[in-house]
Amino acid sequence: MEQRNNKLGWLFTSPYLIYSVIFFFIPLIWTFFLSVTDWNLIKPTFNFVGISNFKEALQSPNVHAAFWNTYRFMLIFVPLVTALAVGVAVLVHGLHRFKGLFLIGFFLPYLSSGVVSALIVKGLLSYTSPINTALRGIGINVDWLGTPFTALFIVGLILAWKFTGYYALIITSGLESIDKEVYEAAAIDGVKDGQRFWRITLPLLYPSLYTTLILAFGVTFGIFTEVYQLTGGGPGNATNTWQMEIFKQAFSNLQSGYASAVALLASIATFISIYIIRKLLEVWGKRNGWV
Amino acid sequence: MKKRSSALLMVTLSAVLLSACSTGQGTATNDNGNTAAGGVTTIEFWAAPNPTQQAYWQEMAKAYQATNDKVKINVSAIKESPTSEASIQSAIAAKSAPTMSENINRGFAAQLSDSQALVPLDTLAGFSDVISSRSMTKTIEPWKFADGHQYVLPIYSNAMLFGWRLDTLKELGYDAPPKTYSEVLEVTKKLKAKYGDKKYLWAKPDLADPTAWKRWFDFYMLYDAASGGNKFIEGNSFTGDEKAGTEVLTFVDNLRKEKGILARQVTDPFENGTGIFTDVGPWTFTTWAQKYPNLKYNDTYTLSMPPVPDGIDPAQSKTFADTKGLVIYASATKAQQQAAVDFIKWVYSDAANDAKWFKETNLPPARDDLSTNEAFKPILDASPQLKPYAENVPNAVPPMDNAKYNDLQTIIGVEAFNKVVKGQIAPADGWAAMKAALEKALK
Repeated sequence: MEQRNNKLGWLFTSPYLIYSVIFFFIPLIWTFFLSVTDWNLIKPTFNFVGISNFKEALQSPNVHAAFWNTYRFMLIFVPLVTALAVGVAVLVHGLHRFKGLFLIGFFLPYLSSGVVSALIVKGLLSYTSPINTALRGIGINVDWLGTPFTALFIVGLILAWKFTGYYALIITSGLESIDKEVYEAAAIDGVKDGQRFWRITLPLLYPSLYTTLILAFGVTFGIFTEVYQLTGGGPGNATNTWQMEIFKQAFSNLQSGYASAVALLASIATFISIYIIRKLLEVWGKRNGWV
Repeated sequence: MKKRSSALLMVTLSAVLLSACSTGQGTATNDNGNTAAGGVTTIEFWAAPNPTQQAYWQEMAKAYQATNDKVKINVSAIKESPTSEASIQSAIAAKSAPTMSENINRGFAAQLSDSQALVPLDTLAGFSDVISSRSMTKTIEPWKFADGHQYVLPIYSNAMLFGWRLDTLKELGYDAPPKTYSEVLEVTKKLKAKYGDKKYLWAKPDLADPTAWKRWFDFYMLYDAASGGNKFIEGNSFTGDEKAGTEVLTFVDNLRKEKGILARQVTDPFENGTGIFTDVGPWTFTTWAQKYPNLKYNDTYTLSMPPVPDGIDPAQSKTFADTKGLVIYASATKAQQQAAVDFIKWVYSDAANDAKWFKETNLPPARDDLSTNEAFKPILDASPQLKPYAENVPNAVPPMDNAKYNDLQTIIGVEAFNKVVKGQIAPADGWAAMKAALEKALK
């Protein structure tokens, strides 16, 4: 019986295992291999170059920019999307009717193409757009995508708009799982309306918040489409990201070996950052007695 | 036994999954590796990823096959995943490259030839016949690579021109576009005096964008005109003309000082009249006809070669050639390579085929006789805005043939052009910084 269950276990897990081997494990090994060569995938021959691709990447101003910009995006995107998602979830949770309809409405941007939303924003921020024309009328003349901070902020804003609905869905399910009796008991114990959110909702929402925060931090390491469409990584290197850099090196400069080294550095930066963030979130939860 | 059956299961499922991932493209190419039964050579032709060009080549292939039953030509569009260049790179890596493809710019061809992925066309029998029968000896001359070989047969050559809003120029008291830098600055002063921040001479967000290819349509157009077509980078050497380059940057700096440049995101600035000067390629006219029917040649807009520094004869102006061509891949068999050349030779032995191309795509065929050959006269008469493009094909300089062109052109923007546009560096300092960075990158 145990042997039969074992076989069935393998059978049911094999699609994912095979998928992982083909699309994660083999490419990972291949990336390790490419990163120590000067191969561009086309040349009939290639040389092993040791760690020189990594050395070059670590000295590259583009890679430095990608590294720091990830954290800059984090500072803009994570608080913004978390606040918006919690706000939307709380509002929707309080509704008696059409809850699902509103949630679907907020979720739709997540399904929309990054290319389309970037192009719409491009139009909205055009020098001759009604918004900018009106702003110039009152003496405000901002080069939105040509100024480092505003360019970063705009990209962060688009991402927040895109992911708010998705995260709100997770947080709403967290809110739905909080037993109403907890609030009733708290009311009997004298907890005021203003304290309810901070003292009851937030602690009980911690597991959902933890998930959305980890997802949100993860998003900042994979930013590509919005930057590619809106700023191309500029002005200067102000919005360059890991994915932009890998794309440019691999597909424009045909430097597959170097791009692989950058990809591995990006993976290391992502892994370490997410690990630290996870630990900090756990400490935050433990300190407050939420876990 | 348990382990063996589990392993067997894994292998079987892997095989099923992998076969599902297959596109079949590789198989097709392998079959083509040899001349098939009956002596028929099959060649794979990858056309540009647009329906017009694909349809043209399909028609040519069909017509050629009717005259030669020993060749089968499969025409398909280059996939853009994520770019056509990346698709070609992947195909070569996967050993499923086509026999030939079009839509190849000189810079990418340099990357491919540097990786020994291309056949030097001049080594194939019959290639010189293509050059002479197509009347393109002069046009193809600057296409020769630093190693002395021709790797690309240019199909079309857009001698990039500057468009001027003639309606605005007339309002300012001009009947024709200015031709020298000082004349352009004079127009800018009058424009700003009349319109303030409502109109700019050159309104284009790309001016501040370091993306490599964007330099083709600003810096290179001006530089080619100022330097008489100097190659800027030849092989692995920086051969830029310092005097011309500094004059170009100074001109741009002067435009900025006069508030003539708007390098911000702006929707169709030339079409909407926010800018009165911009680069225009012949592909633009189809869009204009649909989206901006008010734009009429020699009425609301006109075209001219790039302005030149004072003291240079505007008639000698050169410009950038936005040009793409056809290559044959080294991975193809000798029989396929020869069949490919024979096909090209057949297509270009008749000017009517080029006329058909010109009519359908609006892209000027890369030939010396475009403005004089009777075959093209009806097209140019019907679309007079194409005439200046046809006339200037021999005055157009193709892009550099360096495999690092992306990096090198990014340097032009980052170190000099973009900074001058933003007023962050003096022209001479920008040129010096750019030169130093280019020389370092070329080592």
